[in-house]
Amino acid sequence: MHTFYGYRRQQGLPGVRNWVAIIPSVFCANTVVRRIAQQVVGAVELTHPVGCSQVGLDLELTAKALKGVGRHPNFYGVVVVGLGCERFQAQELADSIAAMGKPVEMVVIQEEGDTQKAIDKGVRLALKLVEQAAKQQKEEFPLSELCLGLKCGGTDSTSGIAANPALGWVTDQIVAEGGSAMLTEVTELIGAEHVLARRAVTPEVGQKILETVRNMENKLKVGTAHSDLQNRSALISPGNEDGGVTTVVEKALGGIHKGGTGPITGVLAYGEPIGEPGLYILDCPGHDGEAVTGLAASGCQVVVFTTGRGTPTGFPGVPVIKITGNTSTFERMKFNLDFNAGEIIDKGLSIPEVGAGLLQKVIETASGVPTKAEIGMNDELFCITRSYGG
Amino acid sequence: MLTALRIDPRDNVAVVLRNVQKGEEVLVNMKTGAVHLTAQSDIPFGHKIAVSCLLVSEPIIKYGEEIGNAKTPIQSGEWVHLQNIYCERGREN
Repeated sequence: MHTFYGYRRQQGLPGVRNWVAIIPSVFCANTVVRRIAQQVVGAVELTHPVGCSQVGLDLELTAKALKGVGRHPNFYGVVVVGLGCERFQAQELADSIAAMGKPVEMVVIQEEGDTQKAIDKGVRLALKLVEQAAKQQKEEFPLSELCLGLKCGGTDSTSGIAANPALGWVTDQIVAEGGSAMLTEVTELIGAEHVLARRAVTPEVGQKILETVRNMENKLKVGTAHSDLQNRSALISPGNEDGGVTTVVEKALGGIHKGGTGPITGVLAYGEPIGEPGLYILDCPGHDGEAVTGLAASGCQVVVFTTGRGTPTGFPGVPVIKITGNTSTFERMKFNLDFNAGEIIDKGLSIPEVGAGLLQKVIETASGVPTKAEIGMNDELFCITRSYGG
Repeated sequence: MLTALRIDPRDNVAVVLRNVQKGEEVLVNMKTGAVHLTAQSDIPFGHKIAVSCLLVSEPIIKYGEEIGNAKTPIQSGEWVHLQNIYCERGREN
Protein backbone atom coordinates (compact mmCIF):
# COMPACT_ATOMS: atom_id res chain seq x y z
CA MET A 1 0.00 0.00 0.00
CA HIS A 2 1.28 3.46 -0.91
CA THR A 3 1.13 6.66 1.16
CA PHE A 4 1.69 10.39 0.60
CA TYR A 5 2.28 13.37 2.90
CA GLY A 6 -0.37 16.09 3.09
CA TYR A 7 -2.20 18.60 5.26
CA ARG A 8 -5.24 17.48 7.24
CA ARG A 9 -8.35 19.68 6.78
CA GLN A 10 -11.38 20.18 9.04
CA GLN A 11 -13.61 18.44 6.50
CA GLY A 12 -12.97 16.38 3.39
CA LEU A 13 -9.75 15.18 1.80
CA PRO A 14 -6.29 16.35 2.89
CA GLY A 15 -4.50 19.04 0.89
CA VAL A 16 -1.24 18.40 -0.94
CA ARG A 17 -0.28 22.08 -0.67
CA ASN A 18 -0.93 24.67 2.04
CA TRP A 19 -1.49 27.90 0.11
CA VAL A 20 -3.57 30.92 1.06
CA ALA A 21 -5.83 31.67 -1.91
CA ILE A 22 -6.82 35.21 -2.85
CA ILE A 23 -10.07 34.97 -4.77
CA PRO A 24 -12.16 37.74 -6.36
CA SER A 25 -15.94 37.27 -6.42
CA VAL A 26 -15.98 39.42 -9.57
CA PHE A 27 -13.44 40.37 -12.22
CA CYS A 28 -13.47 44.03 -11.14
CA ALA A 29 -11.46 42.99 -8.07
CA ASN A 30 -8.77 41.26 -10.15
CA THR A 31 -6.06 43.88 -9.87
CA VAL A 32 -6.55 44.20 -6.10
CA VAL A 33 -6.30 40.40 -5.80
CA ARG A 34 -3.14 40.36 -7.90
CA ARG A 35 -1.49 43.12 -5.87
CA ILE A 36 -2.31 41.35 -2.60
CA ALA A 37 -0.85 38.06 -3.83
CA GLN A 38 2.25 39.81 -5.15
CA GLN A 39 3.04 41.15 -1.67
CA VAL A 40 2.63 37.91 0.29
CA VAL A 41 4.75 34.78 -0.26
CA GLY A 42 2.53 31.76 0.25
CA ALA A 43 -0.48 33.37 -1.43
CA VAL A 44 -1.85 32.42 -4.85
CA GLU A 45 -4.22 34.55 -6.93
CA LEU A 46 -7.27 33.11 -8.69
CA THR A 47 -8.33 35.93 -11.01
CA HIS A 48 -11.08 35.33 -13.57
CA PRO A 49 -13.32 37.29 -16.00
CA VAL A 50 -16.81 36.71 -14.53
CA GLY A 51 -19.18 37.61 -11.67
CA CYS A 52 -20.82 40.60 -13.33
CA SER A 53 -24.19 40.87 -15.08
CA GLN A 54 -24.87 37.14 -15.09
CA VAL A 55 -28.13 35.32 -14.55
CA GLY A 56 -29.53 31.79 -14.37
CA LEU A 57 -27.32 28.80 -15.17
CA ASP A 58 -24.42 31.02 -16.22
CA LEU A 59 -24.33 32.66 -12.76
CA GLU A 60 -24.82 29.30 -11.04
CA LEU A 61 -21.81 27.81 -12.86
CA THR A 62 -19.70 30.78 -11.70
CA ALA A 63 -20.91 30.27 -8.13
CA LYS A 64 -20.14 26.53 -8.26
CA ALA A 65 -16.66 27.08 -9.70
CA LEU A 66 -15.68 29.76 -7.17
CA LYS A 67 -17.10 27.85 -4.21
CA GLY A 68 -15.49 24.63 -5.41
CA VAL A 69 -12.02 26.18 -5.75
CA GLY A 70 -12.48 28.29 -2.59
CA ARG A 71 -13.15 25.12 -0.60
CA HIS A 72 -10.25 23.24 -2.24
CA PRO A 73 -8.18 21.04 0.11
CA ASN A 74 -4.91 22.62 -1.12
CA PHE A 75 -5.86 25.97 0.42
CA TYR A 76 -5.23 26.48 4.16
CA GLY A 77 -7.33 29.61 4.00
CA VAL A 78 -8.80 32.19 1.66
CA VAL A 79 -9.09 35.96 1.33
CA VAL A 80 -12.20 36.77 -0.73
CA VAL A 81 -12.17 40.16 -2.45
CA GLY A 82 -15.40 41.69 -3.75
CA LEU A 83 -16.27 45.02 -5.35
CA GLY A 84 -19.64 45.37 -3.61
CA CYS A 85 -22.29 45.54 -6.34
CA GLU A 86 -21.67 42.27 -8.18
CA ARG A 87 -24.21 39.53 -8.87
CA PHE A 88 -22.14 36.87 -7.17
CA GLN A 89 -21.62 38.36 -3.73
CA ALA A 90 -18.37 38.00 -1.82
CA GLN A 91 -20.35 37.13 1.32
CA GLU A 92 -21.92 34.07 -0.36
CA LEU A 93 -18.47 32.82 -1.35
CA ALA A 94 -17.00 33.50 2.11
CA ASP A 95 -19.90 31.73 3.86
CA SER A 96 -19.50 28.65 1.67
CA ILE A 97 -15.78 28.45 2.49
CA ALA A 98 -16.40 29.00 6.22
CA ALA A 99 -18.93 26.13 6.20
CA MET A 100 -16.01 23.78 5.39
CA GLY A 101 -14.26 24.91 8.56
CA LYS A 102 -11.65 26.69 6.43
CA PRO A 103 -10.28 30.06 7.64
CA VAL A 104 -11.66 32.84 5.44
CA GLU A 105 -11.45 36.64 5.40
CA MET A 106 -13.26 39.14 3.23
CA VAL A 107 -12.42 42.56 1.75
CA VAL A 108 -14.96 44.61 -0.22
CA ILE A 109 -13.44 47.42 -2.29
CA GLN A 110 -16.45 49.77 -2.22
CA GLU A 111 -16.66 49.38 1.59
CA GLU A 112 -12.96 50.02 2.15
CA GLY A 113 -13.09 53.07 -0.08
CA ASP A 114 -10.48 52.58 -2.76
CA THR A 115 -8.09 49.93 -4.10
CA GLN A 116 -5.12 51.03 -2.00
CA LYS A 117 -7.11 50.61 1.20
CA ALA A 118 -8.47 47.27 -0.02
CA ILE A 119 -4.98 46.03 -0.94
CA ASP A 120 -3.62 47.13 2.45
CA LYS A 121 -6.36 45.29 4.34
CA GLY A 122 -6.04 42.23 2.10
CA VAL A 123 -2.28 42.02 2.55
CA ARG A 124 -2.56 42.19 6.34
CA LEU A 125 -5.26 39.48 6.36
CA ALA A 126 -3.27 37.25 3.97
CA LEU A 127 -0.13 37.65 6.07
CA LYS A 128 -1.99 36.50 9.17
CA LEU A 129 -3.32 33.42 7.35
CA VAL A 130 0.10 32.55 5.89
CA GLU A 131 1.64 32.70 9.38
CA GLN A 132 -1.05 30.35 10.71
CA ALA A 133 -0.64 28.00 7.73
CA ALA A 134 3.12 27.77 8.32
CA LYS A 135 2.51 26.23 11.75
CA GLN A 136 0.68 23.24 10.24
CA GLN A 137 2.69 20.01 9.91
CA LYS A 138 2.25 17.41 7.19
CA GLU A 139 0.84 13.99 8.08
CA GLU A 140 1.01 10.65 6.31
CA PHE A 141 -2.13 9.58 4.41
CA PRO A 142 -2.99 6.41 2.44
CA LEU A 143 -3.71 6.64 -1.30
CA SER A 144 -7.40 6.23 -0.44
CA GLU A 145 -7.28 9.96 0.51
CA LEU A 146 -6.14 10.98 -2.97
CA CYS A 147 -8.41 12.09 -5.80
CA LEU A 148 -6.56 12.35 -9.11
CA GLY A 149 -7.78 14.53 -11.96
CA LEU A 150 -7.19 13.05 -15.44
CA LYS A 151 -6.68 15.32 -18.43
CA CYS A 152 -5.26 15.19 -21.92
CA GLY A 153 -4.59 18.03 -24.34
CA GLY A 154 -2.49 18.64 -27.44
CA THR A 155 -3.21 15.02 -28.37
CA ASP A 156 -1.20 13.21 -30.98
CA SER A 157 -1.06 9.50 -31.71
CA THR A 158 1.46 8.83 -28.93
CA SER A 159 -1.18 9.92 -26.43
CA GLY A 160 -3.30 6.82 -27.12
CA ILE A 161 -0.48 4.30 -27.18
CA ALA A 162 1.89 5.55 -24.47
CA ALA A 163 0.94 8.46 -22.23
CA ASN A 164 -2.74 7.65 -21.65
CA PRO A 165 -2.22 3.88 -21.07
CA ALA A 166 0.57 4.68 -18.56
CA LEU A 167 -1.78 7.08 -16.76
CA GLY A 168 -4.57 4.49 -16.96
CA TRP A 169 -2.30 2.02 -15.15
CA VAL A 170 -1.82 4.62 -12.37
CA THR A 171 -5.59 5.25 -12.22
CA ASP A 172 -6.23 1.52 -11.77
CA GLN A 173 -3.67 1.35 -8.93
CA ILE A 174 -5.05 4.35 -7.09
CA VAL A 175 -8.66 3.16 -7.33
CA ALA A 176 -7.58 -0.37 -6.28
CA GLU A 177 -6.09 1.16 -3.09
CA GLY A 178 -9.39 2.90 -2.29
CA GLY A 179 -8.61 6.26 -3.89
CA SER A 180 -10.47 8.20 -6.55
CA ALA A 181 -9.98 9.61 -10.02
CA MET A 182 -12.00 11.75 -12.41
CA LEU A 183 -12.19 11.57 -16.19
CA THR A 184 -13.71 14.64 -17.85
CA GLU A 185 -13.78 16.57 -21.17
CA VAL A 186 -17.05 15.11 -22.33
CA THR A 187 -16.47 16.47 -25.87
CA GLU A 188 -13.46 14.15 -25.99
CA LEU A 189 -15.58 11.11 -25.08
CA ILE A 190 -17.72 11.34 -28.22
CA GLY A 191 -17.37 8.02 -30.04
CA ALA A 192 -16.16 6.09 -26.99
CA GLU A 193 -19.16 6.46 -24.69
CA HIS A 194 -20.34 2.88 -25.31
CA VAL A 195 -16.97 1.57 -24.15
CA LEU A 196 -17.28 3.60 -20.91
CA ALA A 197 -20.95 2.74 -20.32
CA ARG A 198 -20.02 -0.98 -20.33
CA ARG A 199 -17.83 -0.32 -17.26
CA ALA A 200 -20.53 1.43 -15.22
CA VAL A 201 -21.24 -0.10 -11.80
CA THR A 202 -25.02 -0.04 -12.47
CA PRO A 203 -27.18 0.24 -15.62
CA GLU A 204 -28.38 3.66 -14.37
CA VAL A 205 -24.81 4.97 -14.30
CA GLY A 206 -24.27 3.49 -17.78
CA GLN A 207 -27.36 5.30 -19.05
CA LYS A 208 -26.20 8.55 -17.44
CA ILE A 209 -22.84 8.25 -19.20
CA LEU A 210 -24.54 7.84 -22.59
CA GLU A 211 -26.92 10.77 -21.91
CA THR A 212 -24.11 13.05 -20.76
CA VAL A 213 -22.11 12.45 -23.95
CA ARG A 214 -25.17 12.75 -26.20
CA ASN A 215 -26.22 16.04 -24.59
CA MET A 216 -22.78 17.45 -25.21
CA GLU A 217 -22.82 16.23 -28.83
CA ASN A 218 -26.23 17.88 -29.37
CA LYS A 219 -25.00 21.17 -27.92
CA LEU A 220 -22.08 21.08 -30.33
CA LYS A 221 -24.39 20.33 -33.29
CA VAL A 222 -26.58 23.31 -32.38
CA GLY A 223 -23.53 25.50 -32.00
CA THR A 224 -22.12 24.58 -35.40
CA ALA A 225 -25.37 24.30 -37.37
CA HIS A 226 -25.22 27.69 -39.07
CA SER A 227 -23.94 27.42 -42.63
CA ASP A 228 -21.55 30.35 -42.08
CA LEU A 229 -19.82 28.47 -39.28
CA GLN A 230 -18.93 25.26 -41.09
CA ASN A 231 -15.24 26.16 -41.06
CA ARG A 232 -15.48 26.32 -37.24
CA SER A 233 -17.03 22.92 -36.71
CA ALA A 234 -14.02 20.60 -36.38
CA LEU A 235 -13.88 18.52 -33.21
CA ILE A 236 -10.28 17.67 -33.74
CA SER A 237 -7.53 20.24 -34.07
CA PRO A 238 -4.79 20.81 -36.64
CA GLY A 239 -2.32 19.64 -33.99
CA ASN A 240 -4.24 16.38 -33.54
CA GLU A 241 -4.24 15.79 -37.32
CA ASP A 242 -0.55 16.58 -37.77
CA GLY A 243 0.10 14.19 -34.91
CA GLY A 244 -1.64 11.30 -36.71
CA VAL A 245 -5.12 11.41 -35.14
CA THR A 246 -7.64 11.38 -37.99
CA THR A 247 -11.13 11.14 -36.47
CA VAL A 248 -12.88 12.27 -33.31
CA VAL A 249 -13.66 8.64 -32.43
CA GLU A 250 -9.97 7.72 -32.72
CA LYS A 251 -9.10 10.60 -30.43
CA ALA A 252 -11.74 9.56 -27.88
CA LEU A 253 -10.68 5.90 -27.86
CA GLY A 254 -7.07 6.93 -27.24
CA GLY A 255 -8.16 9.42 -24.57
CA ILE A 256 -10.24 7.07 -22.45
CA HIS A 257 -7.15 4.91 -21.80
CA LYS A 258 -6.21 7.41 -19.10
CA GLY A 259 -9.24 6.17 -17.12
CA GLY A 260 -7.70 2.69 -16.86
CA THR A 261 -9.84 -0.44 -16.99
CA GLY A 262 -11.82 -0.37 -13.76
CA PRO A 263 -15.51 0.18 -13.00
CA ILE A 264 -17.04 3.65 -13.25
CA THR A 265 -18.88 4.63 -10.09
CA GLY A 266 -20.83 7.64 -11.26
CA VAL A 267 -21.20 10.84 -13.27
CA LEU A 268 -20.63 14.16 -11.47
CA ALA A 269 -22.12 17.51 -12.36
CA TYR A 270 -19.93 20.62 -12.57
CA GLY A 271 -18.85 21.61 -9.06
CA GLU A 272 -20.14 18.40 -7.46
CA PRO A 273 -17.74 16.72 -5.02
CA ILE A 274 -17.29 12.94 -4.93
CA GLY A 275 -19.32 10.82 -2.54
CA GLU A 276 -17.84 7.37 -2.11
CA PRO A 277 -14.34 6.79 -3.57
CA GLY A 278 -13.99 5.43 -7.09
CA LEU A 279 -13.57 6.44 -10.74
CA TYR A 280 -16.00 9.11 -11.92
CA ILE A 281 -16.84 10.95 -15.09
CA LEU A 282 -17.14 14.71 -14.56
CA ASP A 283 -19.41 16.64 -16.90
CA CYS A 284 -17.16 19.39 -18.30
CA PRO A 285 -16.33 20.45 -21.87
CA GLY A 286 -13.03 19.85 -23.65
CA HIS A 287 -11.48 23.30 -23.15
CA ASP A 288 -8.25 22.55 -21.25
CA GLY A 289 -8.85 25.30 -18.70
CA GLU A 290 -12.54 24.60 -18.15
CA ALA A 291 -11.80 20.89 -17.69
CA VAL A 292 -9.01 21.39 -15.14
CA THR A 293 -11.08 24.05 -13.35
CA GLY A 294 -13.91 21.50 -13.14
CA LEU A 295 -11.52 18.87 -11.75
CA ALA A 296 -10.28 21.35 -9.14
CA ALA A 297 -13.79 22.56 -8.25
CA SER A 298 -14.82 18.95 -7.61
CA GLY A 299 -11.83 18.47 -5.27
CA CYS A 300 -8.98 16.76 -7.19
CA GLN A 301 -5.81 17.53 -5.24
CA VAL A 302 -3.47 16.64 -8.15
CA VAL A 303 -4.07 16.62 -11.91
CA VAL A 304 -2.10 14.55 -14.42
CA PHE A 305 -2.22 16.07 -17.90
CA THR A 306 -1.01 14.01 -20.86
CA THR A 307 0.10 15.96 -23.91
CA GLY A 308 1.49 14.75 -27.22
CA ARG A 309 2.19 18.17 -28.72
CA GLY A 310 3.23 19.82 -25.42
CA THR A 311 1.64 22.51 -23.24
CA PRO A 312 3.17 24.66 -20.49
CA THR A 313 -0.06 25.30 -18.62
CA GLY A 314 -0.75 25.00 -14.89
CA PHE A 315 -3.44 25.81 -12.30
CA PRO A 316 -3.07 28.15 -9.29
CA GLY A 317 -2.62 26.05 -6.16
CA VAL A 318 -3.19 22.61 -7.73
CA PRO A 319 -0.15 20.71 -9.07
CA VAL A 320 -0.62 19.73 -12.74
CA ILE A 321 1.84 16.97 -13.67
CA LYS A 322 2.53 17.10 -17.40
CA ILE A 323 3.44 13.92 -19.16
CA THR A 324 4.03 13.10 -22.81
CA GLY A 325 4.29 9.87 -24.78
CA ASN A 326 6.33 11.66 -27.43
CA THR A 327 10.05 11.67 -26.64
CA SER A 328 10.85 14.40 -29.14
CA THR A 329 8.22 16.64 -27.52
CA PHE A 330 9.73 15.87 -24.12
CA GLU A 331 13.24 16.71 -25.30
CA ARG A 332 12.10 20.02 -26.81
CA MET A 333 9.81 21.07 -23.99
CA LYS A 334 11.25 19.51 -20.82
CA PHE A 335 11.46 22.94 -19.23
CA ASN A 336 7.66 22.72 -18.95
CA LEU A 337 7.02 18.94 -18.80
CA ASP A 338 7.45 16.54 -15.89
CA PHE A 339 7.54 12.95 -17.21
CA ASN A 340 8.38 11.14 -20.44
CA ALA A 341 6.22 8.09 -21.18
CA GLY A 342 7.73 7.98 -24.69
CA GLU A 343 10.10 5.21 -23.58
CA ILE A 344 7.16 2.86 -24.19
CA ILE A 345 7.59 3.62 -27.90
CA ASP A 346 11.30 4.18 -28.37
CA LYS A 347 12.76 1.83 -25.76
CA GLY A 348 10.00 -0.80 -25.76
CA LEU A 349 9.39 -0.42 -22.02
CA SER A 350 6.13 -1.96 -20.82
CA ILE A 351 3.12 0.03 -19.69
CA PRO A 352 3.36 -1.25 -16.06
CA GLU A 353 7.07 -0.32 -15.91
CA VAL A 354 6.42 3.24 -17.03
CA GLY A 355 3.17 3.38 -15.03
CA ALA A 356 5.07 2.51 -11.84
CA GLY A 357 7.44 5.42 -12.50
CA LEU A 358 4.47 7.73 -13.05
CA LEU A 359 2.78 6.59 -9.83
CA GLN A 360 6.01 7.41 -8.00
CA LYS A 361 5.93 10.85 -9.62
CA VAL A 362 2.31 11.38 -8.50
CA ILE A 363 3.16 10.42 -4.91
CA GLU A 364 6.29 12.62 -4.85
CA THR A 365 4.32 15.55 -6.25
CA ALA A 366 1.51 15.07 -3.73
CA SER A 367 4.10 14.94 -0.95
CA GLY A 368 5.66 18.26 -1.92
CA VAL A 369 7.92 18.07 -5.00
CA PRO A 370 6.79 20.97 -7.24
CA THR A 371 5.84 20.44 -10.88
CA LYS A 372 7.43 22.47 -13.70
CA ALA A 373 4.17 24.41 -13.99
CA GLU A 374 4.26 25.33 -10.28
CA ILE A 375 7.90 26.41 -10.49
CA GLY A 376 7.07 28.48 -13.57
CA MET A 377 4.02 30.00 -11.84
CA ASN A 378 1.85 28.89 -14.79
CA ASP A 379 -1.80 29.47 -13.91
CA GLU A 380 -3.49 29.57 -17.31
CA LEU A 381 -5.93 26.77 -16.56
CA PHE A 382 -8.24 28.62 -14.19
CA CYS A 383 -11.17 29.16 -16.58
CA ILE A 384 -14.76 29.24 -15.40
CA THR A 385 -17.33 27.61 -17.71
CA ARG A 386 -20.01 29.92 -19.14
CA SER A 387 -23.49 28.99 -20.25
CA TYR A 388 -24.80 31.14 -23.04
CA GLY A 389 -28.43 30.12 -22.77
CA GLY A 390 -27.71 26.65 -24.20
CA MET B 1 13.07 -3.65 -34.57
CA LEU B 2 9.35 -2.98 -34.81
CA THR B 3 8.44 -0.11 -37.03
CA ALA B 4 4.68 -0.26 -36.48
CA LEU B 5 2.41 -1.17 -33.59
CA ARG B 6 -0.93 -2.93 -34.02
CA ILE B 7 -2.70 -2.15 -30.75
CA ASP B 8 -5.47 -4.77 -30.82
CA PRO B 9 -5.58 -8.08 -32.77
CA ARG B 10 -8.79 -6.90 -34.53
CA ASP B 11 -7.17 -3.71 -35.88
CA ASN B 12 -6.74 -3.26 -39.63
CA VAL B 13 -4.36 -0.33 -39.20
CA ALA B 14 -1.05 -0.03 -37.31
CA VAL B 15 0.70 3.06 -35.90
CA VAL B 16 4.16 3.72 -37.36
CA LEU B 17 6.73 4.32 -34.63
CA ARG B 18 9.11 6.46 -36.68
CA ASN B 19 8.98 8.41 -39.99
CA VAL B 20 8.69 5.86 -42.80
CA GLN B 21 9.77 6.42 -46.41
CA LYS B 22 7.95 5.33 -49.53
CA GLY B 23 9.05 1.83 -50.52
CA GLU B 24 10.44 0.96 -47.07
CA GLU B 25 9.66 -2.35 -45.47
CA VAL B 26 7.52 -1.91 -42.36
CA LEU B 27 7.51 -4.60 -39.66
CA VAL B 28 4.20 -4.83 -37.78
CA ASN B 29 3.73 -6.93 -34.66
CA MET B 30 0.85 -9.46 -34.88
CA LYS B 31 -0.16 -12.22 -32.46
CA THR B 32 0.68 -14.93 -34.99
CA GLY B 33 4.04 -13.38 -35.88
CA ALA B 34 5.39 -10.24 -37.46
CA VAL B 35 3.99 -9.04 -40.79
CA HIS B 36 5.97 -7.22 -43.45
CA LEU B 37 4.35 -4.42 -45.42
CA THR B 38 5.78 -2.10 -48.04
CA ALA B 39 5.00 1.57 -47.41
CA GLN B 40 3.12 2.94 -50.45
CA SER B 41 4.16 6.54 -49.62
CA ASP B 42 6.05 8.48 -46.97
CA ILE B 43 4.26 8.09 -43.62
CA PRO B 44 5.00 10.46 -40.70
CA PHE B 45 5.73 9.22 -37.18
CA GLY B 46 2.55 8.31 -35.31
CA HIS B 47 0.38 8.04 -38.41
CA LYS B 48 -1.47 4.94 -39.55
CA ILE B 49 -0.55 2.32 -42.14
CA ALA B 50 -3.14 -0.12 -43.56
CA VAL B 51 -2.37 -3.67 -42.54
CA SER B 52 -4.70 -5.21 -45.13
CA CYS B 53 -6.70 -4.08 -48.17
CA LEU B 54 -9.89 -2.20 -47.46
CA LEU B 55 -12.93 -1.62 -49.64
CA VAL B 56 -14.83 1.66 -49.93
CA SER B 57 -16.93 2.30 -46.80
CA GLU B 58 -15.29 -0.58 -44.94
CA PRO B 59 -14.79 0.25 -41.22
CA ILE B 60 -11.30 1.20 -40.07
CA ILE B 61 -10.58 -0.64 -36.81
CA LYS B 62 -8.12 0.74 -34.22
CA TYR B 63 -8.11 -0.06 -30.47
CA GLY B 64 -10.50 -2.89 -31.42
CA GLU B 65 -13.26 -0.38 -32.31
CA GLU B 66 -14.48 1.37 -35.46
CA ILE B 67 -12.86 4.79 -35.80
CA GLY B 68 -14.28 5.65 -39.22
CA ASN B 69 -14.79 4.26 -42.74
CA ALA B 70 -12.75 4.13 -45.94
CA LYS B 71 -13.55 6.94 -48.40
CA THR B 72 -11.63 5.22 -51.22
CA PRO B 73 -10.28 1.68 -51.68
CA ILE B 74 -7.13 1.34 -49.57
CA GLN B 75 -4.19 -0.95 -50.33
CA SER B 76 -2.18 -2.65 -47.67
CA GLY B 77 0.87 -0.52 -46.80
CA GLU B 78 -0.99 2.70 -47.66
CA TRP B 79 -0.97 5.78 -45.39
CA VAL B 80 -4.43 6.02 -43.76
CA HIS B 81 -5.47 9.58 -42.79
CA LEU B 82 -7.81 12.45 -43.76
CA GLN B 83 -7.40 11.81 -47.48
CA ASN B 84 -8.97 8.35 -47.38
CA ILE B 85 -11.10 8.02 -44.24
CA TYR B 86 -14.22 9.74 -42.96
CA CYS B 87 -16.08 9.58 -39.69
CA GLU B 88 -19.79 10.25 -39.17
CA ARG B 89 -19.46 11.28 -35.51
CA GLY B 90 -18.71 14.91 -34.83
CA ARG B 91 -19.41 15.98 -38.38
CA GLU B 92 -21.68 18.80 -39.46
CA ASN B 93 -24.82 17.33 -41.10
